[in-house]
Amino acid sequence: MITPIQSQVDPVWLARQLTDLTNLQALARGGQKQVFAAQHVTDGEVVVKLMHPGTDPARTERELEAASRVQAPRMPRIFAHGQLTGNIGTIVWFREQRVPGQVLSARIRAGALSLHELLRLALHVSETLVAAESASIVHRDVKPANIIMDPQGAFWLIDFGVARHLDLESLTATAAPGGCGTIGYAPAEQCRNDKPDIDARADLFALGVTLYEAATGRNPHVEGARDRLEVIRRASTQQLPRLVSPLPGDFADLVATLAQPNLVHRCQTAHEAYQWIKELCDREGIR
Amino acid sequence: MKLHLQFGFGMMEHCRHLLTEWGGGTVVLSPRDLNDKQLRALAADVAGIEGGKTLLDPQFYVPHSDHDRLCSHGYWPAEFASGSFFQGPEMEYLVRELVSLNKDLGTDAIILPGMLADPVDDLWLAHHQSFLTTARSLAGDNKVYATLALSADTVRSREQVNTLLEEVTRWNADGYYIVCEHPNGEYLVRDAIWLAHVLDLTAGLRLGGAQVILGYCNHQMLAARVAGANAICSGTWMNVRSFPPEKFNKDYEEEIRRRATWYYCPQALSEYKTPSLDVAYEQGVLDPMKPPTQLDGGYVAQLFDGVQPSSVRFSEQAAFRHFLHSLRGQAHALAAGGYDEARQEHEQTLTDAEHLLGTLRSNGVLGGNRDFTESLDVNRAALAVLDKQRGPVLRRRWASLR
Repeated sequence: MITPIQSQVDPVWLARQLTDLTNLQALARGGQKQVFAAQHVTDGEVVVKLMHPGTDPARTERELEAASRVQAPRMPRIFAHGQLTGNIGTIVWFREQRVPGQVLSARIRAGALSLHELLRLALHVSETLVAAESASIVHRDVKPANIIMDPQGAFWLIDFGVARHLDLESLTATAAPGGCGTIGYAPAEQCRNDKPDIDARADLFALGVTLYEAATGRNPHVEGARDRLEVIRRASTQQLPRLVSPLPGDFADLVATLAQPNLVHRCQTAHEAYQWIKELCDREGIR
Repeated sequence: MKLHLQFGFGMMEHCRHLLTEWGGGTVVLSPRDLNDKQLRALAADVAGIEGGKTLLDPQFYVPHSDHDRLCSHGYWPAEFASGSFFQGPEMEYLVRELVSLNKDLGTDAIILPGMLADPVDDLWLAHHQSFLTTARSLAGDNKVYATLALSADTVRSREQVNTLLEEVTRWNADGYYIVCEHPNGEYLVRDAIWLAHVLDLTAGLRLGGAQVILGYCNHQMLAARVAGANAICSGTWMNVRSFPPEKFNKDYEEEIRRRATWYYCPQALSEYKTPSLDVAYEQGVLDPMKPPTQLDGGYVAQLFDGVQPSSVRFSEQAAFRHFLHSLRGQAHALAAGGYDEARQEHEQTLTDAEHLLGTLRSNGVLGGNRDFTESLDVNRAALAVLDKQRGPVLRRRWASLR
């Protein structure tokens, strides 16, 4: 279970500790961390993440490691990290590149994405997932809230906070209900926390649902669901409705395949999905 | 898609004749029905026919089998205790002998032993992976096919099929020889999920880059082409057109004792005994049952000579050869350039069959348990399931399926 941060770090105190930062502003708070925007003396616009003192330090280590191992162009770089001790305990911080732009979930609320935007979204996120796959890392929380659309129209996948390192022992308790990730985007095997089955295909499922939502403004697994169990049941058993015109049939085929409830029916690797997406993008001149 | 001849009782001459007529083809040899000397003789005969090839089905489905001829073969273990067998030298001996026999026979690929999975569990997977690992070290450049022999319940289980697809695709066999027990002992399967899972397994393995041969099939399995299958195997009697695991024990009652001659009407996907053909003759609907030219090997011309079919000699030999010739024609005709074309072709075959079956039934021409009427929707449903689960990927990758 994720424990919400109960206490907040005072930005004034933080500015006194991290003296190379100016213009510190609270951005978000939730889950296991508190996030600030700031200006760094050499790195420019940055984000500072503070991990709650109760956060498993191994989990934080994994996020840092994921960021260093996944070599993808549209993934925020981590510039520095360290620890601070204050009256709420010891806090791990890291300073990373701030990606300007709009969170995809907000962009979707403003209206469905065009085909070109959808293809670019698929291409850019799948590029990052290929890099993650090469590093034996599963993001496990691909969703509109973890994707930023920058002013140039590029899509950045952020927050490897619950990433699974396939070559390391799992940090998620086997009995953890719902496993990690976000229901409605996490596939059946992830909701069951069926660790041997969780690989890049879990991220492809989430990408499929994200693309569907970006194309229609709806997540059918979530919309109108009675409770979280129904969301999980839908994601585990139901195929998404097929996307229809004016979106082309081969894009609908792609989304349907990515979001197959049964992992054996999805693309079997991120690379396979990327190749498919790349073909569609090449045809439309998308890069 | 190719048709391979599944060797069964009394098929020696049929194989020689049909391969000669066809200018080649593949025979899947059956150690249950051929002793060592006969195996070698038939393999040599087939090799002597232009384009003739063989495969050897080791029929290790029931390792405790007491079938005399099957157990007489050199590769068959004298003792099989499932625990120690795979730990000791016996398993390696079995594989070594089989590889050696395959090399002697000049088979096209080496089919590995496969035990009936009921269910697929860790032990079953480990044993079959052991077969493959051992064979790889002995087989040299020969292609190696793993056998997946599956009980009806195993095939019906989504979890079991998932397990197979998850595990087996990692073995990297060159191909898979899949034999599936029919549910409830049916000849024509009435269970759409069973068929859908066979197609799903086939498609998953093909998309994984392997060849897939489906053993012990009848014409219902023409649908496998839509899943990308490379070949189906069929033969004369029902027990080589479906997979009865009990056949590999001594006390199996040969259906040959209940012999009857059936005419296969390929455009109806159904078979009829001569009395039913007499009804068709009487009702004036015999002519539409005549095989189309491209599926007609000339074995059944006398049935359509304008006289009552029961008044002409329609031999068992002609019936078998006609069935296999027609089925081969149907399998070859499914040479679709794309997934959608393959699916449409099979659906058209079903639609055409449905129209003819309607006419025949309304005229009292019935095929009993070999009438395809109840299987039409089974095949349609299975194709719809395949399409929803695999259609987009098959569509995209059809041309690259080797």
